[in-house]
Amino acid sequence: MACCTVPTPDPVMSDVLTVRARPLRVALVGNPNVGKSVIFGHLTGRYATVSNFPGTTVGITRGRALVGAEVCDIVDTPGVNTLQGTVSEDEAITRRLLQGEQADLIVQVVDTRNLRRGLMLTAQLVPIGKPMVLALNMIDEARAHGVDVDSGGLAARLGIPVVETVAVEGRGLEALRGALAAARVPQVPIEAVRDPLRWGHEMATRFRRIHARPSARFEEWVGRAVREPVTAIPLLAVVLYAVYVFVGVFGAQTLVALLEGGLFGRYINPAAIALSERFLPWLWLRDLLVGQYGLITMGLTYAIAIVLPVVTTFFLAFGFLEDSGYLPRLAIFSDRTFRAMGLNGRAVLPMVLGLGCDTMATMTTRILTTPKERLIAIVLLALGIPCSAQLATIMGILGGISFWAVLTLFGVVLLQMFLVGYIAGRILPGDRSDFILELPPIRMPRLRNLLIKTRMRIWWYLGEAVPLFLVGTLLLYGLDRTGGLAWIIVALRPVVTGMLGLPADVAQVFVMGFLRRDYGAAGLFQLAQHGRLTGVQAVVALTVMTLFVPCIANFLMIVKERGLRVATAILAFITPVAVLTGAALNHALQFLRVTF
Amino acid sequence: MPSNSSVSRSESARRLSVLDAGTVGRVARVLRDEPGRAERLAALGVTPGAYIRVLQTFPGVIFECDLTHIAVEPAVAAAILVDTTEVRR
Repeated sequence: MACCTVPTPDPVMSDVLTVRARPLRVALVGNPNVGKSVIFGHLTGRYATVSNFPGTTVGITRGRALVGAEVCDIVDTPGVNTLQGTVSEDEAITRRLLQGEQADLIVQVVDTRNLRRGLMLTAQLVPIGKPMVLALNMIDEARAHGVDVDSGGLAARLGIPVVETVAVEGRGLEALRGALAAARVPQVPIEAVRDPLRWGHEMATRFRRIHARPSARFEEWVGRAVREPVTAIPLLAVVLYAVYVFVGVFGAQTLVALLEGGLFGRYINPAAIALSERFLPWLWLRDLLVGQYGLITMGLTYAIAIVLPVVTTFFLAFGFLEDSGYLPRLAIFSDRTFRAMGLNGRAVLPMVLGLGCDTMATMTTRILTTPKERLIAIVLLALGIPCSAQLATIMGILGGISFWAVLTLFGVVLLQMFLVGYIAGRILPGDRSDFILELPPIRMPRLRNLLIKTRMRIWWYLGEAVPLFLVGTLLLYGLDRTGGLAWIIVALRPVVTGMLGLPADVAQVFVMGFLRRDYGAAGLFQLAQHGRLTGVQAVVALTVMTLFVPCIANFLMIVKERGLRVATAILAFITPVAVLTGAALNHALQFLRVTF
Repeated sequence: MPSNSSVSRSESARRLSVLDAGTVGRVARVLRDEPGRAERLAALGVTPGAYIRVLQTFPGVIFECDLTHIAVEPAVAAAILVDTTEVRR
């Protein structure tokens, strides 16, 4: 069924495939979420992250492909809805790429169901003056929705090859490869360039037929259930619980126990300690590698044994939700709340991601439109969103005390986030943007994509986060050797004991909390286990820890994204907020004589 | 550009924000009351002449335009004028 319609053989265009100084550069361009990255993967054999929501690709990905007898550079670009007027940062990347020397040939990928929007973009691509091929992707879904396109007529009208594809199944991609040799500059009237929107509308009306829709399919039924409040809110509770069981229980408890207690506790760390005692005569070097703040015994153990299982299970669960098209639906319900905080519903995506890892989520704030929105989202992530590892430790401690203790903590944290967001939304300069969000279709995720994506993300974590862990551990080691750590603990004592009513040793736990918040929580877990904390003390300490400074990795990511000045300002703001909230909570609980 | 001249204004054009779920119509024009708003909508295919169907009105407005589902806040929906006389279901 995948058909390729090429107007007439044109000997001139075979010139495209001739000997040249550098490989032919083919850019995959199109509206967001039309399948560019899937086609890129098929042509090059390289994986570019594929998800079911607009805006997955925010940078350029390159790869090589063999087309006929010639090696081509294939470029995957961020989705663009328009090339004219003011465009977002990722759209600007694509525009610059197309206008420069970086693309010789354009393959425009269109979601066939949205042919009209696709053709509006085609008209904007024409003035660039580069040879083009049009790929009508997801032709199967379009047919299932009663949409038929006269691709032959369209090819004749535009004067370029038009290929029908189902990229996820690899259908039509050989035809697409073959069509590259016949690419040429589209022939459109001048009105198309003057008013692309109107022309796109007219062309779609002419070459597309929409028949009566077949009866509601399962996906549509699910789509309705996850967007209408009566069903969507109970469904959200089910989804949250399922993710909690998979990530918080299976990942953070079962797998962590296997890796930390088993692999590292029994084999790797004892072996590393034995080896260094035998071969390293210098005590400082032994300490650096296998001491209390050792690169292996602390840095690597934490990165691999504690965090890796949690992020792996989270990446799987999150990837499933991403590919299903569910996540953007959450934005519908949270839009009102986020608007009060100077954001809009889109902000729900980084917030949800933050439950996996605040560091990664800080990077995804790039999807927000204005600088003000990005700043507020980064502050809220650093302030109140516990990462999955920390969440599991919190549940471990407070779950053992009482349900009300859990509720108190989350109630206080959410209220504090809302207050901070509300104030920031009013005092920070700049605007929030309109909430306008395209909802992707609900689909059953493909296992293959889910596994490949998770593997890529684990590599990312190992490459990006592990070095940060090691840097953090080095810092702690340095502080410990110079006596700085002891000094900090002494200095913190008045606040910890005086204001928060906690045992003095909790000061040390707070310092650890900066390395990783869940590490600090784990320290509290030990104290609680030894009966050193009352219920009220546990709630107060964990509330402060949750609101407290972000972990080092998150802090370094904020520096990377927003600069050192902003990062320091965020830190200087969050720390007193966390302590004062803890102090107020402590006094309120004492006053009300709550014991949990 | 105060209005879109390519499509004649219709007397019966109503704001998308006041339409009930299930209403079908054609976009008559999009108000340019906020900078960038009309452009962002146009980029999603919400331009004069587009057929739309209102799917849901609470908590935000969700409508189908050209087989794409789009969610917007009420203020944005109020800027979209829809002609409902031509097609009514």
